[in-house]
Formats: sequence, C-alpha cells, structure tokens
Amino acid sequence: MQTTAALTAGLERIPDQLGYLVISEDGVLASAGELENDEHTAAVMMQMVRTASRFSLSESSEVPFKRMSVILEDFAYVVTVSGQKVFVVKRQNNQQEPISV
Amino acid sequence: NSQIMILMESTLEQHLDDTMKNPAVVGVLCTDQQGHNLGCRGSLSDEHGGVVSVLAKQAAALTRDPTDSPTVCLESESGTILVRNHGTITVAVHKIAS
Repeated sequence: MQTTAALTAGLERIPDQLGYLVISEDGVLASAGELENDEHTAAVMMQMVRTASRFSLSESSEVPFKRMSVILEDFAYVVTVSGQKVFVVKRQNNQQEPISV
Repeated sequence: NSQIMILMESTLEQHLDDTMKNPAVVGVLCTDQQGHNLGCRGSLSDEHGGVVSVLAKQAAALTRDPTDSPTVCLESESGTILVRNHGTITVAVHKIAS
C-alpha cells in the first residue's frame, strides 16, 4: 500500500533500528522488525504519549515534547508525534552518552 | 520514630540541594508511587508529581525484567526531563543543554 510505504520509508533507514511502529488513534498503521504486530508496546506507547502531553513547564501552548525516549538496558524506544500519528522506533542502546542524574 | 523521619527528610532535602548544584540541572522532583511530592526544587513542582509517577509506571510495562528500570526522557525546547524509578520513589530531573 502506497500510503503505508510513504510513512515508513524514513523509519527503515534509521541506523541501529530493530523495529518500528506507526500508531494512530484507531490502532497500529504499520509495524516491522521486533515490533511487528506488537500491540502491547503500541498500547503502552500511546498511554505514555497521552501522559507526557499533560506535562507542561510553562503556560505556553507549545507541544510539551519533541521527542520521548524510553531507555532500557539493551535498547531504547524513541517516540515522536507528527500529524496525529505516533512513530515508535526500537533502537540498539549503544550507550554513547551515559545519563547522569 | 519521628526523629528518624526528620533525619530521612533532611537527607532527601540535602540530595535535592546537591543535585541543583549541577549547572545543567534546573529542576528536580521526588514523588512516591501515588504521585505525592516528597521534595522538589527549581522548575519542577507539586503539579508535575502525578505525570512523573504515571510515566515511570507506564514505562515499567515495557520490560519483563524487573531489575531493568527504564529511564524516560522528554526532550523539548526547554530542555530534557529525565524520569526514573529508584525503588519505591520516582525521581525527575530537568536538565538544559550546557
């Protein structure tokens, strides 16, 4: 399907990509790799995007985040929202910058 | 018992102050699992407690390994918010690029 191919063309080229999901309010539009048909991860990511959208540091109406990452021991999920769609990419965690908090 | 509580509280307050000494850190918040504020500094306050604890809880559903504690990063124009569970408390740190 041409529309799906247009959505995922960029995702396919991301380095260290292990899989991806494209999700809308109606459900999963596209999926591949380790995230193929991963309805559980899709549901959790949609919940997290909704939660994160409530986060505001100021009164401004700007989108509260440009990118959300969930970093686990061996891999990371990187999430962006564009045009009513949520893009989730699972990437190998190459530990290039340690997170010190 | 109340003396122990006061001691624990002052230790947490000290940690919060120490965290704020990092010039890249502009806010820090600790909550319990219900999102109640245990202590905060700078840009993070009471109103963020709920979102922070819910985000940490939702992220935990992404791994089956109970020893793997996910870190959630929210990147925006105003910096990065890092959220992570440490035992029963959730810690959020607001950092700006330095």
